[in-house]
Amino acid sequence: MPEIIKVNGLCKTFGKLQAVNNLSFSVNEGDVYGFLGQNGAGKSTTIRMLLTLIAPSSGTIELFGKSLSSHRKEILSQIGAMIERPDLYKYLSAYDNLKLFAKLSGCKITNQLLMNQLEMVGLADRAKDKVKGFSQGMKQRLGIAIALVHNPALVILDEPTNGLDPQGIADIRNLIKSLSTEHKKTVVVSSHLLNEIEQVASRILIIDKGRKIIEGTTQELLDPNQTVVDIETNDAQKTYTLLSALTWKNHLQPLINDKISLTLHKHQIPDLLRSLVKMNIDVYALQQRHSLEDYFLKVTSGNYVQPV
Amino acid sequence: MYNLFKLELYKIFKRPRTYLSFAAITALIVIIQIGLLKDGKEYISFVLADLGNSFEINGNLCNGYFVCFCILQLLLIHVPLLIALIAADMISGEANMGTLRLLLSKPITRTEFVLAKFAAASVYTLLLLIWVAILALFVSMAIFGTDDIFLVKNNYAVQIAKDDIFWRYIGAFFFAALAMLTVAALAFFLSQFAENSIGPIVATMSIIIVFTIFSTMSIPIFNKIKPYMFTTHMVAWKEFFDVKVNADNESIVGTIQRPDKIINSALILIAHIVGFVGISVYSLKKKDILS
Repeated sequence: MPEIIKVNGLCKTFGKLQAVNNLSFSVNEGDVYGFLGQNGAGKSTTIRMLLTLIAPSSGTIELFGKSLSSHRKEILSQIGAMIERPDLYKYLSAYDNLKLFAKLSGCKITNQLLMNQLEMVGLADRAKDKVKGFSQGMKQRLGIAIALVHNPALVILDEPTNGLDPQGIADIRNLIKSLSTEHKKTVVVSSHLLNEIEQVASRILIIDKGRKIIEGTTQELLDPNQTVVDIETNDAQKTYTLLSALTWKNHLQPLINDKISLTLHKHQIPDLLRSLVKMNIDVYALQQRHSLEDYFLKVTSGNYVQPV
Repeated sequence: MYNLFKLELYKIFKRPRTYLSFAAITALIVIIQIGLLKDGKEYISFVLADLGNSFEINGNLCNGYFVCFCILQLLLIHVPLLIALIAADMISGEANMGTLRLLLSKPITRTEFVLAKFAAASVYTLLLLIWVAILALFVSMAIFGTDDIFLVKNNYAVQIAKDDIFWRYIGAFFFAALAMLTVAALAFFLSQFAENSIGPIVATMSIIIVFTIFSTMSIPIFNKIKPYMFTTHMVAWKEFFDVKVNADNESIVGTIQRPDKIINSALILIAHIVGFVGISVYSLKKKDILS
């Protein structure tokens, strides 16, 4: 797959603050690229540099195989972006906002095209309403419609689920998936909602304090050796004692508030279940945790050493 | 860029705030006209009190041309405020709404962006001035009629024949357009340093008020800096109403006493406009968009 984004040695300094520090990464065509980091990690600064809103202190950015600094207009015409919370023009309707930005993007506009976009984000019935009456979630959805209205090859969404209700979050998640699978677009999505990224991204970059911590496919980053299993039984104390006497001792985490947790390889879960049955323990629930959240918190804690 | 300019105009004239300016200026002018309609003769007597002892002045002194002159003098501060209301919001308003980052990530250059925005603000300024001209000149002419204009200056009086006035107003309004575009350029320039429009509006008005005070006070230390302040040159439209006189001290029709002063002031104002817009382009090109 050709590289759509290629960032090399990117740095940005604001006064004494090093917001982005020697960041290099690449995004392939068709990727849903998850950009993860805690607040202040440098995600938005990096995205703004990709959109020429912030000038890098050093480093190079290539998009679609061309230098961003020398082919700015040509490159930006192929990008649709939604950056943080879009407030838009409150005194214009959803339809007029969309039309205005579509014209700015230089695409041919028809009433049908605009209504289709509004339909896609669930705002067709509010097309003529002024944005000042919209909730943050509705503005967010309109922002996504604006990002997509000119049919860009690359879509950049900065915190797209901010302010959305659970149904809205699910809708955006499905939209991102369909952009990649059905419309063959490359998507860069940043978020601090790690479970959201985990569910949509094919590749993930984690940054902290402006530096790359790790980059890889979602599968690579979800180390199966680090699966956490939470068990709920009829007698937690007894279960803990019995498991401590067996080979599971090395996997057990300290018992806190009658909560039994083990860290083990995913393939060991059936053996664990069999052991519990043999011990006549009534198992009410067994929950496997391998979310990126634990991993994310671990790698951004500052004492993580990447395994060789 | 033309497309961008049209969109900027569309945004300006979709905002209720734009029409508030037109409503405010209408109210101000109408109030002045009603006042002069009711008590115009008393006002004229007061203005010409000193001359009344030496001259016998007949005719319709409180005519449309005189009323227009009074209105233009009184609106020196109000019109810039209404212009700053829109021009100072052009960039800061976008930053406040969160649309600046959206606009500047579109395939347009920042130079195009600044020039299109300033061009749109200029159209608004000119339309506001045309509206002032319609109300202050044409409506006043319709209500009060026309006659010679009699103006009292610092140490002399000027009488201009009725048929020699209209073209002077055309010239005065063109010059006023230049002066108001300077205000728009200043407000526009300040607009990019703030994330809401209040700061740039207050800053623009403060600069105009302080500079106007400096320009009107005859204190030696201020006199040295007066030629460099744009407010000194903004009032040069009044030069259109100073005529050359012949040996008998009679006005020479079709003349202006100091045309060089008008040209000089116009050039200085143009230089300010180019300077403010040029610096705006330069600094926005260098600016990181963090809003």
